[in-house]
Amino acid sequence: MNKIIALTKKELYSYFSSPIAYIILIATVSLFNVFFYLIVEQNREVALRDIFQLMEFMFVFLIPLLTMRLFSEEKANGTMEFLLTAPLTHTMIVMGKYLSMLTFYSILIGLTLTYYMIIEYFGAPDLPSILSGYAGIWLEGAFFIAIGLLVSSWTSNQIIAAMVSYVILFSLYFSTSFAPYFTGPMADFFTQLSTRTHLENFAVGIITPSDLVYYLSGIVLCLVLTRFSTNNKLWQ
Amino acid sequence: MLIARHITKNFGSFRAVDDICFEINSGDIVGVLGKNGAGKTTLMRILTSFLAASSGEVIIDGDDVSKQSLKVRKKVGYLPEKPPLYDDMTVQQYLKFAAEIKDVQSNRRRLQVAKVLEECHLDHAKHKKIATLSKGYRQRVGIAQAIIHEPKLLILDEPTSGLDPMQIKEVLSLIKNQRNQRTVLLSSHTLIEIEQIAQRVLMIKSGRLVLDSSLDEVLKSKDPAQSQPLTLDQVFISHHQEHLTQPLRAGDE
Repeated sequence: MNKIIALTKKELYSYFSSPIAYIILIATVSLFNVFFYLIVEQNREVALRDIFQLMEFMFVFLIPLLTMRLFSEEKANGTMEFLLTAPLTHTMIVMGKYLSMLTFYSILIGLTLTYYMIIEYFGAPDLPSILSGYAGIWLEGAFFIAIGLLVSSWTSNQIIAAMVSYVILFSLYFSTSFAPYFTGPMADFFTQLSTRTHLENFAVGIITPSDLVYYLSGIVLCLVLTRFSTNNKLWQ
Repeated sequence: MLIARHITKNFGSFRAVDDICFEINSGDIVGVLGKNGAGKTTLMRILTSFLAASSGEVIIDGDDVSKQSLKVRKKVGYLPEKPPLYDDMTVQQYLKFAAEIKDVQSNRRRLQVAKVLEECHLDHAKHKKIATLSKGYRQRVGIAQAIIHEPKLLILDEPTSGLDPMQIKEVLSLIKNQRNQRTVLLSSHTLIEIEQIAQRVLMIKSGRLVLDSSLDEVLKSKDPAQSQPLTLDQVFISHHQEHLTQPLRAGDE
């Protein structure tokens, strides 16, 4: 566990030692603030449902930018050889990188907790639905990060990693839009595949086992695939 | 310390390492010679468990590299051809990170980092960002990370590649200082460097081991045409000529 923490700290240090982390945090939260004001002003309700859906859409754009460098940079700089010849397991390397990005993402989400305080000042928001909304958006980000991490392990080119991540995240996000063109199981498949379908429930305070399974199995699957992808036997 | 038995490595239809066998005793400094593309880096990557051999086995200090990889990695320090450095870290931060992931006990880490900083003459550069260091310093930081966990075997892949003469002298002196502490295997295609520090030479040609001999024996061998001792340069060239069985002629360079 100590080695995973060391890897996580190294990744976070790498982010916060450059202006990129601060720019991403400030720019994203500022954008959320503007939309928060506009949505509350328009809806005149003490709920964050629409904010969560907006966050989800924004994270489809943002997360590939965060994850594209995770493995690609190590491969391009030759430091992957350093990690893979140190007494580290592949799982430790994958978890160290994943947890670093999850920590960064949690800080980003944490900065929006002020929205609850603001709407509470003006009314009586439904706390359970807001908590479940935050749980949903956190799980969704964790899923997106796991996808970005997997894609980053496939290539040493950061641009390619970002582009492939965009294709996958957009496909997942918009897959529900294809459902009307199909009937029966195929329509269900496209609806259930979409991240929007699953976040909708969380955003209105409903946590169902199927939604939890969707996110958790997606995260575990991507992390396991990343672990195999980093196995240098596959590079030979 | 190191036993390599019938190591072969194929990349598709290309055979990069072909049935190589050798043994290295504790405390030896062994030079691996070969032209670019001869298979030196592939061999070193197999020895460090970065690549798996297609066939054959490598035993380091009694442990099989493929079966007890994590255990072996604790005993091996490795400097790849391109030093694996994180430019955004300072030298000290990087070495501390290397110590953490290489199982240096937490109560010894600070001491160990200070020790390698001194040993590699990096003390005055410890707070500098790695991105700002010259090539010679980067190489020294690379060696420092390779010895941070006190490995029994140190593997260095072309440690002087791309350095100026002064930097080469510094790096070679640093490697020489490892002589009494650990076994060293280093690759190079610069023969004079091997002559300066190695006790034994392995020469690889097209993935095959064509010479395995002590440096003294190699240098004692005479050029039949001139009755003069051969230089390592001449031995190298003779092994890379097409007709290996032909004696070296006078004037061959």
